[in-house]
Amino acid sequence: MNAGALAPVAAARAAVDQAAAPWRRVPRTAVGGTVVAGILLPLVLTRISIGDYVITLLILFFMQAVVAQSWNLIMGYGGIYSFAQVALFAVGGWTTAVLSHSLGWNPFISILFAPVVALLAAVGIGLPTLRLRGVYVVLLTLAFHQLARVFAVTGPRFISGGGYGLVSVPTFQFGNAIGEQRLLYLYYLAMVIFVIATFAIWRVIHSPLGVAVTALRDSETYGVSRGINQFRIRLILFAISAFFTGLAGGYMTHYNGGISTSVFDFPRLIDLLAMIVIGGWGTFAGPILGAGIIIGLDQYLVAIGDYRALLEGLILAFIAVFAPQGLWPLIRNTYNKYLGPEPPAPPAAVEQPTPDLGATPESSGGGA
Amino acid sequence: MLEVKGLVAGYAGSEVLHGIDLVVNEGEGVIVLGPNGHGKTTLLRAITGLLPPRAGQVLFNGTDITRWRPDLIAAAGVVHIPQGDLLFPEVTVLENLLMGAYHGPTWAARNVRLGRVYELFPWLKERGGQLARTLSGGERRMLALGRGLMSKAQILLIDEPSLGLAPLTTQQIYASIQTVKESGMSLLLADENANHVAGLADRVYLLETGSLVREGLAQEMLRDKALLESYLG
Amino acid sequence: MSTQFVQAVWGGVLFGSVYGLMALGLTLVWGAVRLLNLAHGAIFIVGAYAAYWVVAFLHLPILIALPFGVLFAGAFAYAMHLVFIRPVIGKPGFDNSTLVATVGISIAVSAAALLIFNPEYKVVPPVLSGSTIVAGVQITYQGLLVIVTSLALFGLVYAFLSYTRQGMAIRAVSQQTEAASLMSIPVVQTYGLVIAISGALAGLAGVLLAPTFFLNPQSGFNPMIQALIVTIFGGLGSIRGALVAGFVLGIFESFVEVFYGVSWAQPGVFILIILMLIVRPNGLFGIGEVRRL
Repeated sequence: MNAGALAPVAAARAAVDQAAAPWRRVPRTAVGGTVVAGILLPLVLTRISIGDYVITLLILFFMQAVVAQSWNLIMGYGGIYSFAQVALFAVGGWTTAVLSHSLGWNPFISILFAPVVALLAAVGIGLPTLRLRGVYVVLLTLAFHQLARVFAVTGPRFISGGGYGLVSVPTFQFGNAIGEQRLLYLYYLAMVIFVIATFAIWRVIHSPLGVAVTALRDSETYGVSRGINQFRIRLILFAISAFFTGLAGGYMTHYNGGISTSVFDFPRLIDLLAMIVIGGWGTFAGPILGAGIIIGLDQYLVAIGDYRALLEGLILAFIAVFAPQGLWPLIRNTYNKYLGPEPPAPPAAVEQPTPDLGATPESSGGGA
Repeated sequence: MLEVKGLVAGYAGSEVLHGIDLVVNEGEGVIVLGPNGHGKTTLLRAITGLLPPRAGQVLFNGTDITRWRPDLIAAAGVVHIPQGDLLFPEVTVLENLLMGAYHGPTWAARNVRLGRVYELFPWLKERGGQLARTLSGGERRMLALGRGLMSKAQILLIDEPSLGLAPLTTQQIYASIQTVKESGMSLLLADENANHVAGLADRVYLLETGSLVREGLAQEMLRDKALLESYLG
Repeated sequence: MSTQFVQAVWGGVLFGSVYGLMALGLTLVWGAVRLLNLAHGAIFIVGAYAAYWVVAFLHLPILIALPFGVLFAGAFAYAMHLVFIRPVIGKPGFDNSTLVATVGISIAVSAAALLIFNPEYKVVPPVLSGSTIVAGVQITYQGLLVIVTSLALFGLVYAFLSYTRQGMAIRAVSQQTEAASLMSIPVVQTYGLVIAISGALAGLAGVLLAPTFFLNPQSGFNPMIQALIVTIFGGLGSIRGALVAGFVLGIFESFVEVFYGVSWAQPGVFILIILMLIVRPNGLFGIGEVRRL
């Protein structure tokens, strides 16, 4: 074989590789730019009057986005209908709260245990649950949510704090930083957690594990027949999801200086669900977008008070039925159509084997 | 009575039928012969609405029933006895039969119809209480046929009555279809074996890769072994 | 017999019939439509609030309010079917869409109840008032009515599915959708019928239980969780299973409550169901995928 015959093969090979490994296509400049913007933004914000308030909103956004992404990882990608998300968040929060409050640990040490304990709790729930069909998972995770709530309200005093949760948990302290300076540190800590979680989830989705998960979601029979161990994969996914959820729970506890039993209230769960559904169920960036939308909208919706829940419920139901893909695929397609970079030119004489990603919004290939 | 004009149908991404024209007259037995995988089942599914056709028309007694819902087509009198029988597995033989007479006006006369089906397949009467999933292959086919006959069908569309059956049972099935036809029922049968249908057929269509390639009187076509062999192998 | 024991049995039978009544509708819809209706609890309070409205604002007796509540709940469920369920029937994302949609509906219903009425507990009068004392335990006539109604409805639904044309059609649709449509059974309308019946059952449960459970915008949640547990315990889609599991769980919970204290009741039930799922993953009347009604 001569070199001339090999060239088109190599070109085709490169195109196939790109299709099989979409993370290689992520525009580094876009990701780098976003991160730099994230670093610089608060420095600008501190100079305007409502800047501090916006920074607290961004911190909230980072944490909610982490929890929503983790949930989407198991619900949207894994097809595991778990409603234990808030409970796992609480497990993380309570772990670090008890360690720092009752045992007097430094929050920076105790928070490290939040994701670990949440992960262990997830394995504990997952072992009896994840072998079963979807409906059972719904019920048993709801049951876990209820049990955790009951325990948090009526459990021993060092957990229940008398029924309302734990107050006066130590907050994060950064040396002697106070006020705006401390807020900046809190912001960067939240951002670091968000970036790590986002990157980890991105890698999980595009790893062989993620491919197996998507295969199982789309055709269980096929996936299983190809030798994928469904139970093990679901358990791993559930554990990863719980890890970051617990971490976010830990952060919020030390950010707020306490954790209240009201985290278990149903509206919290619904807010998270709305983020995923509105942003885009089973897409990578959907929950991040959704978290931004919900937190942003909330600033306006406060005014309508009790109508908010009514509206949220109806929007949720309508989007689920009439636009089940959510908003993200819509935005990405528009972007690709008008502003997206030109796709790499197909190598001469070789049919471009790259699948049209726009046609399969579930297998999101776009950037964050 | 049943007229198909330029029917095009298929599944996502692939067209199976490329414009079928076909007629079944009152009281006639029409056979669509063709090898496996050439679109016989798709044709019947497209006629009875299980697979909405992409183009073309289906007329029944002059009414355009193209893209009607399957239950309305069945209610109109075009009754499809599908491949694989599709019995209701966890209900009894009797309940399976009764479901054939679901359509309102038919329901009132269900006992009369039951009597007629029992005449054709007497064993159904004795084993009425048995769960349908416990029947043997031949029994299932007879029950599917009986269930179809419970309806007020004006034309029966039967998809490969012999599929997966032993020779003796096959004979029995075709004999009962013969009886049904002699009672005046119009038939559209999809089959791949010319020998089975010899007694039933008035006219024959040959279906090849989604198109009807030959049409003719059964007497002539079924005698032409060379022709049949070249198509059906 | 000790008072405690009688108390536990009475409470158990009462709980059992209540759970059974809620689970009956849930299991019916699961069996026929394959829909996990997480709005079942919301429909429960729709029925109860409708009856409350008739009593409190129209000043009509509960005997008129009861059928009104039942019909209203059934109509509400049917409307839900038309708007949110029917468009996704047969589509690939049916599970996801209906799961989220029914959660959304139950949030919206709670919120609407909060806006129309208020967060305070509402009192719906019992259909039968008065009580009698048996072995030191107060037996309310309303409680007896609930038990009798629940048993009667199980019988009625069972007979409906076994002997009527529509009932048989429901079972046919649940087992072989395609064949059902070839037998001229309108599949989607049949789904709507099942959902409406299930809604009416939830509404009836709501009106009958409101005097005992009290009524506020959140009161649908717990009965629904209990109904889910009963449904799964009895085997999804099994009507007999729902009846038996309702009583088993009701009596179990009642005994735990009487002998170990009320805070153990719910955890006890959860532990029981987890153990049961490990031993018998398909429920008490473990029926497989195909056989559902």
